[in-house]
Amino acid sequence: MLTPVMSPGEAAQHAAFTALLWALSYPGRPQSLPAGAQAAFRLIGATLLDLETGYFTPDPPLAAALAATGGRALPPHQAPYHFYPSLDAAGLDLLATAPLGTYSDPDRGATIVIGCQLGAGPALTFSGPGVRIPLTLRAAGLPPALWALRNRAVYPLGWDLLLVAGDQVVGLPRTTRLEVA
Amino acid sequence: MAYVAARGGEAAIQYAEQLHQALNGPLTAERVQLIAQLLPYLVDRVMGEGSLYAPELAALALAQTGGDLYEAVLLLRAYRSTQPRLAYAEPVAQDQIYTVRRISAAFKAIPGGQILGPTLDYSHRLLRLDLLDGAGAAGRVQPVTGSDQRVADTEHAAAADPAQATALDPSLPAVADWQRAMGLLEPLPDTPPPDPATLPDLTREPLSFPAPRAHRLQSLARADTGGTLALGYASMRGYGLVHPTVNELRLGYADVVLRHPITGASFSAGRVRVSQCEVVDTQVSSLRLGYTATLGWNEVKVIAGAMLDLEMDAPTPHPAHREEFVLYHTEAVEASGFCIHYKLPHYVTFQSGLDALRGVRDQGGEVPGDR
Amino acid sequence: MSLADLAHPRYDYSYGFLDEHARRELRRRILKAIAIPGYQVPYASRELPIARGWGTGGLQATLSVAGPHDTIKVIDQGADDSVNAANLRRFIARMTGVATTTDTTLATIIQSRHRVPEERLRERQLLVLQVPDPEPLRHVQPDSSKAREMHAEADYAQMWLSLYEQLVRFGRFVQGASYPVVVHGRYLMSPSPIPRWDTPTLHQAAHLTILAAGREKRLYAVPPYTEVRPIEFDDVFFQVERMAGRVCAVSGARHKFMDELPVAGGGSLFRISDTGYLEKLVRAARGEPVTIGPTYYDAVGRFYQPGVLHEPDAVPPEGGTGHD
Repeated sequence: MLTPVMSPGEAAQHAAFTALLWALSYPGRPQSLPAGAQAAFRLIGATLLDLETGYFTPDPPLAAALAATGGRALPPHQAPYHFYPSLDAAGLDLLATAPLGTYSDPDRGATIVIGCQLGAGPALTFSGPGVRIPLTLRAAGLPPALWALRNRAVYPLGWDLLLVAGDQVVGLPRTTRLEVA
Repeated sequence: MAYVAARGGEAAIQYAEQLHQALNGPLTAERVQLIAQLLPYLVDRVMGEGSLYAPELAALALAQTGGDLYEAVLLLRAYRSTQPRLAYAEPVAQDQIYTVRRISAAFKAIPGGQILGPTLDYSHRLLRLDLLDGAGAAGRVQPVTGSDQRVADTEHAAAADPAQATALDPSLPAVADWQRAMGLLEPLPDTPPPDPATLPDLTREPLSFPAPRAHRLQSLARADTGGTLALGYASMRGYGLVHPTVNELRLGYADVVLRHPITGASFSAGRVRVSQCEVVDTQVSSLRLGYTATLGWNEVKVIAGAMLDLEMDAPTPHPAHREEFVLYHTEAVEASGFCIHYKLPHYVTFQSGLDALRGVRDQGGEVPGDR
Repeated sequence: MSLADLAHPRYDYSYGFLDEHARRELRRRILKAIAIPGYQVPYASRELPIARGWGTGGLQATLSVAGPHDTIKVIDQGADDSVNAANLRRFIARMTGVATTTDTTLATIIQSRHRVPEERLRERQLLVLQVPDPEPLRHVQPDSSKAREMHAEADYAQMWLSLYEQLVRFGRFVQGASYPVVVHGRYLMSPSPIPRWDTPTLHQAAHLTILAAGREKRLYAVPPYTEVRPIEFDDVFFQVERMAGRVCAVSGARHKFMDELPVAGGGSLFRISDTGYLEKLVRAARGEPVTIGPTYYDAVGRFYQPGVLHEPDAVPPEGGTGHD
């Protein structure tokens, strides 16, 4: 029997999943995706979404691309996966309704993918699981109100954030303590 | 150091498999076809518990495992894991089943009639020893002729051949429909059946309790026949709370109706053997139904399953009255797999337990009885 | 997407055996498990061509994470060469084309039943532990829906009570393997039946651990650098198995987890349970060039992270015969 091989599409999704796996395991350490900019959002969508789950994005071109995964377009308060190539005040209002999970099912807390720029902007200091000694990262393009929204949830409830900048992704799971300077 | 001696790694595995094959004779396409033809009820059972309707593959699984039922079910389930879901079938309405056997123990006569159909229920269970001496087909049951009352039934029995089933009028009303019309049963909800794609699916999300109705029925549909019988029998024998009656037992063929993804037109993608049983309880002010259906013809399983369905919510401590106990422990693949896993080495965990036990002994304490 | 993305030669099975939907579901669940350390994430758990209860949970985790560039090590009871480990290893290799190894330091993914290797795992290594029963509360609460509520409410009083009862009755904790731990200060977790010797290796570890139960359809994770504390009282401590005094009959090494091998006529011999590590010790003794990684326990039995383990209550004299 032949050892099965991945198609190029499967290989890209596998590489993307590996990047997400380590991004959430080592929060604050950028991991490389095999795609940049807008393509990164579509690739993360293809890696995680199919007809068994649903998504929300306020970005029309991205919505069309995500629909191709077979995933269900859901209103923001129901969607387990949210995608914001750029997050503005209007987006923040939608994001505010994203599920935080429940005490019996905390895994229903949403995964939020947000675009930003790394290396400039306010300093974010990460500590908590996956972070051996606190580490600092600069990220621009994120509304400051995002952090207050994120911090409303009491663990184990909460959102798991993936910050995407070009082909880099940074994990910010709900366990991470974040200081914003 | 027996396990160390058995550690031949991959070579040992290959030799063990060869030995197994040598004892079971050659595996050929003809043998697989023979199994499908001669052992349809066994094939049905493998398909039902394997939750995949594929007679040829089920027969192949039986051939490959030498008839080890649990192994065959596992083979089919493992194959199922590799298959994507392409579409959701439309629900099967009771009166659209091409029925070959339908009996009710609750009434002497029912609308549409009692249909005995293909069964050995009233046959003498005598071994046909003459067959072994070469009697062949000569010793078969004589065809019923003349004014025999059962002629109508044999017409239906002919429908056991799926090719002829198309000629049958499928409309045989459910006994429960009559009871609903008489006000004995709660009426069905007025809403149309839910979109099949939105139903909870046991193969996509695990059981949690209390289980959604869909999960419970899916779980019973693919439950181990022996396990379902054991727990159901415990209820029937006297641990049960209710005294159910078989309202209706039905075997037949159901069309797998799909909607064309582009035109939206309904079409039948094929026909599967199905069995279902409804049991009814008369102890309370109105009737209550218990229900089980499965792929393939398996009367013991659907009767025992329907009894368990009726009793699973009872607040009493008997295990057969607890949904979690029944559904977890009648799962054929998990139960059999875990049972045989005890053959694997456990010397590290045993050593750890031994250390705890010696620790207690060393300080002169009571020795723990277990764990 | 182009046609070339979709086209490939016909194969009987998908890469990694599981179809694309199953892989995506596992990806989603694994990422949530990492984000909520120690929380048991329910998942569909497809049937695999290996019997249930034989590592199908671990196998699903491994198959969904492994790629063609990975190197995998599979152990059962610490042994690479057990029939079961060999069988899982050849299945993974057959379905993913990964390289295989017995050397912990060379592996990117280590799938294990009942052991953690003696050599310390490092960053970006993945340890997949096969789990027969993910529920640490099972023996105080056999009803899984009630146990789930207890986790939701972080109500572990019954567990503490059971620990206290052990102390009163037996004068010490009598839990052997799968000693329960609290992860990130929140979830009580069964670390799969690894011996207590291996339990502290999960605490503030450099590597990622994924624990998966196939039959029970739950998977959970311990991310790197996460607090993992065995439950214990302020004055009565968790203790690992006593290995002091046991000498490996093959290598002469001490202070590693030993298999006890009964000897005809009474008494026992001991041998290091981690066969990959033992093999390297033997080769090093023969003067062959091998790289042996730093171990969790040093040559005198000290755990590499100070302050994690308390001194055992009675240490048999060095060179003694242990219990036999």
